[in-house]
Amino acid sequence: MKLIKTKEENLEENYLELHYDKMDGETNAVLDRLKDTLRYIEGTCEDKKVTIALTDIFYIETVDRKTFAYTKDMCVEIKEALRDILEEYSKIGFARISKSSIVNIYKIKKLQGDINMRVIIFLKNDEKLVMNRSYKNEFYERLNKLQGRKTK
Amino acid sequence: MKLISKKNFISIVCIFFTLITCGKLLAEKIYNFTDKYYTDNIFTILGFSVLITLVLSVHYYLQRFPFLLVFIGQYAATVAIVFLAIWLHGLLSENAPTAYMDMFWSITIPFFGGAIVYYICFFYQIRKANRMLERLN
Repeated sequence: MKLIKTKEENLEENYLELHYDKMDGETNAVLDRLKDTLRYIEGTCEDKKVTIALTDIFYIETVDRKTFAYTKDMCVEIKEALRDILEEYSKIGFARISKSSIVNIYKIKKLQGDINMRVIIFLKNDEKLVMNRSYKNEFYERLNKLQGRKTK
Repeated sequence: MKLISKKNFISIVCIFFTLITCGKLLAEKIYNFTDKYYTDNIFTILGFSVLITLVLSVHYYLQRFPFLLVFIGQYAATVAIVFLAIWLHGLLSENAPTAYMDMFWSITIPFFGGAIVYYICFFYQIRKANRMLERLN
């Protein structure tokens, strides 16, 4: 299997294109690895059914027993519970930051500490989240794992 | 993660006790000082070790509260317990004239030292995490 990387200026979104004659084991293995990353989730936004890519989600939080996923310009109510999302998708970058919210590590711009030892998370969409001290170690472990995977 | 549990509580007390006693003996050797209240002080160190381990074990349950509040609360509670113990001891036998002041510093120095180390580790961790995030993005 060949991999061709092409740099294109001013591309709106990165994309992968697969050219094949027959699906062989190697190709299936690559697709399996991508499956989680390219997974979509269904939900409702302003009473309309919508489908969003997991990689577009900035963070997910629970408010009044309802779960909401936030993308750059949408807030989507989803059916999945936080715990299930974390169990299934933590390996693609989701980490818990408080009892009621999880964040997509790939959407974090930077972290900042405050005097009360809370970590302020600055997201790429300029929103701010607060990480509870008790979830700090879990978050750093997840970040280390992602970092380790990238350097491999 | 819970670092101090029921299982390892006694061993941590023993580690604190050994370290503080060794420090005390080393200081006595260096300054050629003879401790008149040797037995009393050994038991004080034991009590102090139990108290410090207790304070650190409670910290896990207080993580959802602001750090400064927890730190001040734990410091004030520790000082109060120790001063109460000195006062009770004073009822039974004679205290050293500087007992309160000595114990005040014995609590304050490790508390503030620990807090400074904790702060440094906290901000170091954030710096490290920011470097990782830069590499990921």
